[in-house]
Amino acid sequence: MVSMAKLSKMHGSAESAQRLKKRKAAQMRLQAYGIAAIMLAGAALIVLMWSVISKASGAFTETYITLPVTLQTADIDPGNTGDPSIIGRANFGGIAKDALKAAFPYVRARKDKRQMYDIISAGAAFELRAMVLAKPSLIGQTIDFRFLASDIADLYRKGSYGKLTLHPHQGSLTITPDGKSVNIASNASDFAFVLARVKADLLGKATFNRDQAALQENGRRVFEERAAASEDSEIKAAHLTEATQRQAERDRLIALATDLELRATQGGAETLDKSAPSVLLRVGGAWVKFTEISAQGGVGKVIGTLDPAQLADWQLYVHDTPEALRKVSDLQAILIENLQISGGVETSFNTRFFTAGDSREPELAGIWGAAAGSFWTMLVTILLAFPIGVMAAVYLEEFAKKNIWNSFIEVNINNLAAVPSIVFGLLGLSIFLGFFGVPRSAPLAGGIVLAVMTLPTIIIAARASMAAVPPSIRDAALGIGASKLQTAFHHVLPLSMPGILTGTIIGMARALGETAPLIMIGMVAFIVDVPKGIMDSATVLPVQIYRWSDFPERAFEARTSAAILVLLVFLIIMNGLAVFLRKRFERRW
Amino acid sequence: MKTTEEMRTGVKISTQNVDVFYGDNHAIKDVTVDILDNTVTAFIGPSGCGKSTFLRCLNRMNDTIDICRVSGDIIMDGQDIYNSKIDPVQLRAKVGMVFQKPNPFPKSIFDNVAYGPRIHGLVANKSDLEEVVRKSLRRAALWKEVKDRLDEPGTSLSGGQQQRLCIARAIATAPEVLLMDEPASALDPIASAQIEELIDELRKNYSVVIVTHSMQQAARVSQRTAFFHLGDMVEYGETSNIFTNPEDQRTQDYITGRFG
Repeated sequence: MVSMAKLSKMHGSAESAQRLKKRKAAQMRLQAYGIAAIMLAGAALIVLMWSVISKASGAFTETYITLPVTLQTADIDPGNTGDPSIIGRANFGGIAKDALKAAFPYVRARKDKRQMYDIISAGAAFELRAMVLAKPSLIGQTIDFRFLASDIADLYRKGSYGKLTLHPHQGSLTITPDGKSVNIASNASDFAFVLARVKADLLGKATFNRDQAALQENGRRVFEERAAASEDSEIKAAHLTEATQRQAERDRLIALATDLELRATQGGAETLDKSAPSVLLRVGGAWVKFTEISAQGGVGKVIGTLDPAQLADWQLYVHDTPEALRKVSDLQAILIENLQISGGVETSFNTRFFTAGDSREPELAGIWGAAAGSFWTMLVTILLAFPIGVMAAVYLEEFAKKNIWNSFIEVNINNLAAVPSIVFGLLGLSIFLGFFGVPRSAPLAGGIVLAVMTLPTIIIAARASMAAVPPSIRDAALGIGASKLQTAFHHVLPLSMPGILTGTIIGMARALGETAPLIMIGMVAFIVDVPKGIMDSATVLPVQIYRWSDFPERAFEARTSAAILVLLVFLIIMNGLAVFLRKRFERRW
Repeated sequence: MKTTEEMRTGVKISTQNVDVFYGDNHAIKDVTVDILDNTVTAFIGPSGCGKSTFLRCLNRMNDTIDICRVSGDIIMDGQDIYNSKIDPVQLRAKVGMVFQKPNPFPKSIFDNVAYGPRIHGLVANKSDLEEVVRKSLRRAALWKEVKDRLDEPGTSLSGGQQQRLCIARAIATAPEVLLMDEPASALDPIASAQIEELIDELRKNYSVVIVTHSMQQAARVSQRTAFFHLGDMVEYGETSNIFTNPEDQRTQDYITGRFG
């Protein structure tokens, strides 16, 4: 028999105080876990946003190079006809190259010229053409034209390939021509620090060679053991041959390493190849690129026209990233630096990124094509998914009788919401493209597939919010003599619309970020034109991101991040709209 | 006070051997009742006795419950309302209903009252509709309080006003019978009294059936009373007889407060 009076005395006891303490501790622990989890998630979000935004920042500016261009009548419109078809056929690429040649007359070698042409974008010639076509009166004049810089020039300016660093010096310079190159000498050890770095690199190479030699030695020993263990004289001979070969290779590597070590420890000049840091001198209105360096000078190649009378003022630049590891060559870097000094380079906001379609040239690529593709696709999706989804939900919630078939349908709708999206892509490929012949890559096809994918989300959200409408409202309507249809459309649907819209927007946001099913139906194609309707070939934002992330050009890295930002902005807007609708139209009964 | 004879103008709804099942649960057992015109009929009984269920049979509101099954005859003006030819929507236009909890639509006061006439096409133009709304609100004794704020949502009214709005909404469809399922149970005594007055007023034009928990209320507003117990209709007769001289022991026990 339990005495209730005894039980109530337990409330103030030491035992109960102990239990209370434990309970409080458990609560505090749980709170701490919760706060830790939230902070972790917040930190992850901050890192993500920081990484995306910092990477994307480079995509929002572009570089222009202004050069005087001579639009000779003979080149563009020899007959002076003013006929756009003739003007349009002129070799504007050649004119652009001529402008570069005129700006840098000292670049003469064929290989160097090709590098020079690469600092302006392939698209610049088309812009020049468009400008001349729009204003034929320019023919015959010399104008300053803003050439869009190529991706490598742009990235060099933004510091993606490292920077030229200025180093102090004490000595004064003497330069003596020696055939094609020049001998440079300073009266102080101004180049010793570069030499030291080159020598340190030699030691690194020597260590590498010694490691390789050790591997060869292992191989030799193994083959000798095998030869010793082998009975067959032929196999024994083969093993011995292998062992000898490895021995020779080992000796060669060790000799190489010894040589490198010797070079590294002794003074003396070193050759600067493409895997060494670039050493550049700016002197007498020209640049000198070192090919060989010692503590007090070296041998170099002049780029530009050197004025031998003006050697007093000189600057020493070192580019730490070896030429072999960057896309921009020393010559290109020098040309860009020269343009910068003469004021011919400017940076402006990259509107092209928001207005252009896709391109293989990163500097010409924009997301407008993908954004328009996303718009058309979403349009098809919402026009299909919203009415069908809401009607299905109205039927299931208001009309369908509770029987085994309807619960079977219900279970399947819920399961459909969990189906991997790529399966819907397969469905679209086989049914809509294969059977109904919907055009491949078109927003129509993508929209249908995404609509099928979004349907369960909308149906579930719509049913949930219709079920949340209190039955008293239905009773009231039915009690007056409204039919079921009138009850559903006059009362239940309007009341549940905020919830339905919220669900729809969330579903649409998911569809907007979807890549996999669209890849299956060919929306991953490279499409330059901005789609003008639901039947044009198109791609969508997430697929564009996926494609750009796969492109080898470094400048696409920033564009990928920028496109991610654009997609995120759309998603945030849509989710914000959902939250707004929920807050604004939320009803309480 | 009129005599009972004067009130007996005829049978409005006649039910014979009505049984109601919720799945396997036999909720109403063989109920036979004649509901008179221009009379307030009260259904009383303890909780769960089936009085509300029976009330909901009279306008086929039980149709909305999938597992509910009704058998027997319910004849209104000579027609079986469970006949397959009868459209429950038409029936409910003739048999209005007021629910226990005030349930105005989350629309304006005007739209609440105008909804019925609109969907049944009772009025041809806007001024007629306005007149119907005005009359209905007057009859529900709500007009004075809301005439200046017909655009405000019905849900902004107080509980008692909401319930009168629901009554106005029910009578705006011009029904012949008004079913009321504990219309005053969610209201305070003053609002209850107003509703009761209203019910007495409505008797002139309608046959009113009211389910109530309160025996005082039944005694005050009704002329005839049916006592339900565990799905059986135990006793039915003049209200004064039921309360002063019940025939059945269970009725006696209930009205004297032994159970319920």
